[in-house]
Amino acid sequence: MTTFLTYTLLGLVLGAVYFIAASGLVLTYNTSGIFNFAHGAQAMLGTFLFWQLKYDWGWPTLAALLVVIGLVGPLLGAALHALIMRGLRDTADVTKIIVTVAVLLGMVYLSQWIWNPDEARTVEMFFGADAKVTLLGVVVRYHEIVCLVAAAAIAIGLRVLFTRSRIGVVMRGSVDDPDLLRLNGHDPERAAMLSWALGSTLAVTAGVLIVPVGGGALEANMLTLLVIDAFAAAMFGRLRSIPRTFAGAMVLGLAATYVMGYLPASGPVTGNLRVSLPMIVLFVVLVVLPQDRLRGAAIRTRERYRVPTVRSAAVWGLVLVAVVYLYSLLLEDSGITTLTLGMTFAIIALSLTVLTGYAGELNLAPLSFGAVATIVAFHFGVSGSGLSAYLTPQGVLAGVAAAALVGGLIALPALRLRGLYLALATMAFGVFLSNMVLRDTTEHELFGVKFTLFPNGTLAVPPPKLGPLDLRDGQTFLMTATVLFALLGVALAALRNSGYGRRLAAMKDSPAATAMLGQDLVRLKLSVFMISAGIAGLGGVLMSAAAGSVSGENFTIMGSLALLMLVVVAGIGYISGALLGGLMSGVGATVLVGTFNDLALEHEAMSSIYSALAHLVMVGTALVGMGVGRNPSGFVHDIVESYRHTTKPVRYGGAAVGAVLYVLALTDVIGVWTFAIAVLCGVMLLPVIGRMLQEEGRRRTTPLELIGVDEPYTDQLRARLDRELGLPALPVTAEKGGARATA
Amino acid sequence: MPLLETRGITVRFGGNTAVNDVSLTVEEGQITGLIGPNGAGKTTLFNTITGLQKPTSGRVLLDGADITRLSPAKRARRGMARTFQRLELFLSLSVRDNVRVAGDVLKATGRRRRFDLDEETDRVLERTGLTDIAHKDVSDVPIGRARVVEVARALMTSPRVLLLDEPASGQTERETEAFAELLVGLAAEGLAICLVEHDLPLVMRLCSTIHVLDYGSLIASGTPQEVKESPEVIAAYIGTEEAA
Repeated sequence: MTTFLTYTLLGLVLGAVYFIAASGLVLTYNTSGIFNFAHGAQAMLGTFLFWQLKYDWGWPTLAALLVVIGLVGPLLGAALHALIMRGLRDTADVTKIIVTVAVLLGMVYLSQWIWNPDEARTVEMFFGADAKVTLLGVVVRYHEIVCLVAAAAIAIGLRVLFTRSRIGVVMRGSVDDPDLLRLNGHDPERAAMLSWALGSTLAVTAGVLIVPVGGGALEANMLTLLVIDAFAAAMFGRLRSIPRTFAGAMVLGLAATYVMGYLPASGPVTGNLRVSLPMIVLFVVLVVLPQDRLRGAAIRTRERYRVPTVRSAAVWGLVLVAVVYLYSLLLEDSGITTLTLGMTFAIIALSLTVLTGYAGELNLAPLSFGAVATIVAFHFGVSGSGLSAYLTPQGVLAGVAAAALVGGLIALPALRLRGLYLALATMAFGVFLSNMVLRDTTEHELFGVKFTLFPNGTLAVPPPKLGPLDLRDGQTFLMTATVLFALLGVALAALRNSGYGRRLAAMKDSPAATAMLGQDLVRLKLSVFMISAGIAGLGGVLMSAAAGSVSGENFTIMGSLALLMLVVVAGIGYISGALLGGLMSGVGATVLVGTFNDLALEHEAMSSIYSALAHLVMVGTALVGMGVGRNPSGFVHDIVESYRHTTKPVRYGGAAVGAVLYVLALTDVIGVWTFAIAVLCGVMLLPVIGRMLQEEGRRRTTPLELIGVDEPYTDQLRARLDRELGLPALPVTAEKGGARATA
Repeated sequence: MPLLETRGITVRFGGNTAVNDVSLTVEEGQITGLIGPNGAGKTTLFNTITGLQKPTSGRVLLDGADITRLSPAKRARRGMARTFQRLELFLSLSVRDNVRVAGDVLKATGRRRRFDLDEETDRVLERTGLTDIAHKDVSDVPIGRARVVEVARALMTSPRVLLLDEPASGQTERETEAFAELLVGLAAEGLAICLVEHDLPLVMRLCSTIHVLDYGSLIASGTPQEVKESPEVIAAYIGTEEAA
């Protein structure tokens, strides 16, 4: 009985902290309409700062708490709102989600920069672990009492705020109709900023409280993913109701501790199950939740994409293959491998183009579907052994099919609901996969077959071989991946121009109107999600084969989020956006960070500067992602638009310069990277140069009045005005003076 | 037997009763009007008929079959089509593709497999007078004609009953004239049309039966002449005699 009570108490304490985290999430979602994926990351930053103040600098606990919870928490939230979130009105849900994902990544990169993740840190309980009382034979620590009291106070406080206070009512109204609030003399932006400040404070509070409860080890990723526990709890109240969120948090906390306490402790399953519980609860709630009301496109979003014809997609595909071939001639083996990895990432990115760009749905864990396909291909598709082992085409296809199938299963419960729920489900799946499957190195027995999902924690995936096409050779692999990308690109262009593609576009623009045409939306979403997961699976298998050996680290949720963010930054509605986003994700960060780290090793005196630059690159990409709200169509869109206005001579001139640079690079006059950077800059700058050249030709003189010179209005001017307006000419000469006088 | 029928439809939002015990019929080959002041519950009733809104109580019948629990898509497949008061056009598609996608859905759901989609699209565009703007981006189309695009899209599903939510608002006089002609032609071919509209002269001219909603309740039903003379209707539209 005492054991049961102890577990119950621990569960309630855990639930209390979950509730504090979840309440902040519900608060910001309901007042700004933005679901804050960075909620856990805010908790993480705050907790690390607390650690810094209290343990590293030795501040008294109360002072550290005051600064972190009383000052940094609210300021962080207010700053987020002022700098980023308020710019997100009238953007699609996808953009809103991506921006918070970018904030999440930025905070994680920032914390890794400031606090080296390889060092161990701990945060202890308030009043120490020994400060406790005993109630009914159960040991209750003061820290646990603090958690429970804080949760209860916050629950009551929020309830009163929302139902009793004027500002609370304004907060609730600000998401539904900000204009109406403005007309009534309220300031919706002020209410939103207040709620972000409050939400951020709650996140930080939850972070500081939960670390000691969970054992004391301070770990950035774990805290960042607190957002999943929080939204699993909030889901009980459909992300709206504070009391139901409270109940959900308690259920979650109790379930977690009972699982720990009563399931057999042997094997890794229990420990992993504990971590994966929120995801399981989430799926149960998703299945149980009633169907959402169909809504139309209530807001007119700013995203616009141009649709390529199949012909132009084919032409550009050929251009791509030619360019990559020519470029591969410049590269050494290691460079070819890196570029191949980038190309496989680009294939995974295509899965996002079809899902998000065409159908308006989100998958936050594309790499996880790559992992599923890789596992299946590894177990069923490897032929031969040792160095002569290769991956059979059937194996690759089996992997793709498995990814599509798993994708369908994951998506199905969420498809009846709004797009946000699908995003949440995929993120939960990604974390689940990382925790349960990719760490699973023990042997299982199923139907008499013994197998190990992830032997030794890594999978050695051999290169694929199809008839005479052997991808063992680096360049062959690169060209095959490129051709595959081009083919998939053409296929997607064809898909987008087909009846199926039009139905996807219709569903994205107005689900209600599409349903009224007789379209079963769940079926359509399911099919496109499975296509997308299959493509991600294909890219994932190729990525694993290109890398040679992969571990769970290759498929983390952070990797997935970074890929998604970069593709959105590049332009998720475009095939070229997938190419650029994928390359940036697979090559860009690796190459840049790698280069800086190498430099740091070489020049020891400068090492801190170089490693700071490497970190800056990471934080910088996240900053770019946060800017997506201002330019939701992506930069490919801007480049395409700008090229529309360039004239042929400018384009030919640019191509000629490119050819000269290529010859220089081929003959080793300039380095490979110099060449790549010069070409990239050239592509971006060409339209600008072209415009400058054009304006040179037909520059208009600015009227003198506009630059402040007052020209006296003469009779000649008046006559000209009359003529241009078609008025009868005044009799000039003699009567002029008289006419003036009478007028 | 009426093609479309509601029996005692009531919709409550919390304590607000948006639609209160409304029973009405829409007949084949006729234009039925549904009028009432702003906030009378016309759009909510449309949403209930098309399945976008669950009624608190009451039933919806199409061709004698109870469709109250069917999804919007299933109702559409049984021959129901509608337009929206707040336009719900597919902004990333051209005018032509907005219409054609309805045919794509027909093909994909197997309701009509063997027909020339391009030809049919052109026919509908021609009939609704949209041929000249067929290749424009739908976001560039002025609102009066954008409403016609919604009608054309609905017609592309070859419906049996067509629900129009304020289709003439934002149209010029000439556009309204052409639009009225189109509706009369469609009704003559046997289509059942239910028209929500604030342009009362237009409603009086086109409709054979008119239902009047006020504060969620049906206050009058009948021919245009009967409705015009109903004291309740006059009170609802002009205010009570005392107030006047």
